[in-house]
Amino acid sequence: MFSRLPAFFAALLIFLALPIFATEPAPDFTLPTFPDNIEINLKDFKGRVVYLDFWATWCPPCRKSFPWMDEIHERYKDEGLSIIAVTLDKKREQIEQFIKKTEPAFIIAHDPTGRVAKTYQLRAMPTTYLIDRNGHLVMTHTGFRSIDKERLETIIQEQLEK
Amino acid sequence: MQLKKRRQDPRNIRHQLAAATCGLLAGSSHASSLIASGDNWKIDSALLIYAEKDRVSLAEGVLSISKEIDDDEFINARIVTDVLTGSSPNGAVPSSTAQTFTNPSGNSTYTEAANSTPLNHTFKDLRNALNVEWDTPLSRSLRGTLGGNISREYDYLSTGISASLAQDINQRHTTLTVGLSVNKDTWDPVGGVPVGFAVMPTYPAKKALDGANADKTVKEILLGVTQIINRQTLMQINYSRGQGSGYLTDPYKILSVLENDGSGNLRSTNPYIYENRPDQRTYQSLYWKGVHQFPNENVLNLSYRYFWDDWGIQSHTVDLRYRFDFDGGHYLQPHLRYYQQAAADFYRQTLTDSEETTLSYASADYRLGEFVTQTIGLKYGFEFKNGAEINFRAEMITQKGKDRRADAVGLLQNQQLFPDNEAYLLQGGLSLDSDMLIKYIMRFFK
Amino acid sequence: MIKTLLFSTFISLVLSACSLEPVQPWDRDLLAQQKMQLVADPLEIYLDEHTYFSKEASSGGQGVGGGGCGCN
Repeated sequence: MFSRLPAFFAALLIFLALPIFATEPAPDFTLPTFPDNIEINLKDFKGRVVYLDFWATWCPPCRKSFPWMDEIHERYKDEGLSIIAVTLDKKREQIEQFIKKTEPAFIIAHDPTGRVAKTYQLRAMPTTYLIDRNGHLVMTHTGFRSIDKERLETIIQEQLEK
Repeated sequence: MQLKKRRQDPRNIRHQLAAATCGLLAGSSHASSLIASGDNWKIDSALLIYAEKDRVSLAEGVLSISKEIDDDEFINARIVTDVLTGSSPNGAVPSSTAQTFTNPSGNSTYTEAANSTPLNHTFKDLRNALNVEWDTPLSRSLRGTLGGNISREYDYLSTGISASLAQDINQRHTTLTVGLSVNKDTWDPVGGVPVGFAVMPTYPAKKALDGANADKTVKEILLGVTQIINRQTLMQINYSRGQGSGYLTDPYKILSVLENDGSGNLRSTNPYIYENRPDQRTYQSLYWKGVHQFPNENVLNLSYRYFWDDWGIQSHTVDLRYRFDFDGGHYLQPHLRYYQQAAADFYRQTLTDSEETTLSYASADYRLGEFVTQTIGLKYGFEFKNGAEINFRAEMITQKGKDRRADAVGLLQNQQLFPDNEAYLLQGGLSLDSDMLIKYIMRFFK
Repeated sequence: MIKTLLFSTFISLVLSACSLEPVQPWDRDLLAQQKMQLVADPLEIYLDEHTYFSKEASSGGQGVGGGGCGCN
């Protein structure tokens, strides 16, 4: 009977660890901010819920998501939400024009070669990744439609409450 | 004017299905630098003047309004008004003496001087047309478009519907499109519909009629593939097939009938008869288009179409546009178009006496003949910082026809049976959105 | 002369199609530009098609539908 104990504990451990296996750690990255070119690392945001959004000025749904991201940032920044909006634009001037018009309060990072987008296996624009306080990827969402707003906000709230 | 600073004109890839012919341009209504989002309407407008040397003149206005009614779902309405004046060839050939023709109404006559192409003095014609379209996503990678159109002139009514689907595959590198359309047209010609090959009566006699009006149905199908070649290049290949049935003849066009003696003289009695075309026509085309951007940001747009039908008509069309972008939002775009057409089987420039009893069909309408059209043009545009655009273009269109040797009998060898036609085209366009329009109007009234 | 120029441009462009490269979603910036659309200026194309439809026996190719006038 005692010879079966290690197997039992191994099974228990695996069972307890399953929730961790359900989500993988979000790949770490280093990117410059826009326009100041300050380097940020994803791992520095551990402890906060990170809304990682990949966008570009030439993508209409991406542009449409900005006012909403501003709202969410305002509402939840003090509860531990950090928004990192990574622009994949290749021309700085276009980003400047857009930033001037929208004046986002959240972090804008710049990935002109798509290096980080590739790491995250980006398939469409925009794509949003939600990363929990432990640095795990809990949600991937492509596109931005008005019907998505409510669902996205609910998932953010859930993660903030953890 | 060296650098090309890019104006903000972001757009997702829009695999458009744009329609040809008089009426419809489906699926491309919201393809502009301005995005019709929220409560904002996008407005595109254009004014065109087209004038042929000694022939037809046309003034046309177009207004196109788009709105995004839901995420990526658009509606568009396009209104067109055009006014046509001048005259066009009635199908008869010139003669060494003056010729008199009866007007379509049968109430008067008109005369053409010796040695000049007889022209039918076009009634001043006003046309109004409306086209509406609904373009919506059906799934993540499938889009559908539904359209309806109506066009009215005093002697012609056209109504139609169209539908198309566009499916993205291959990680959105490829788009498959299928389109269908049906148009039902009605001719209500002045003086009624003449019987095919009936004689043009000497005033005040009236022409033999085949009813007061006549119908025509046109059905079309299109299959297309659009492919992204690389970051700078996009191509499209379309196969189209259309079928026309019903009254396909032009009720105002005639043919000159010559004496059967090789002299080239007109037949002494009833030398003019109304044309007659088949009541069925099946046509097909293969169309290829490529768009490519060079490292200097200039854009090349090139297309080729091969068209053929069961009337014996075959044509080749090559169209080239090259856009030079300059600093500050200005651009220049030269345009070249080359068109070559082989005549319809039943195209004749003249008939000889009694041929109308042996032939089934005949038409002297130069548009069914053998000719080459060459166009050279230049467009200038300016994109404002806010996304609005103003543009102008001027084009010279030259049509060179080929005389049909077999019909240039006797005396007619001294005549120009298919004279060249020269026309110029001027167009001005303005695109903006409703927010801007309201702002300008308010500023104007302050 | 124009005929030769146009046909040679056409051939070289078609040959370039032999090199298909996958284009990542973030590299579609150029293809998103208005001037890169298959129909960059819909009104211009519509007006051109209308003009040539009234003067020639061929029509369409780029799309379906229309008809619409007693001019051909």
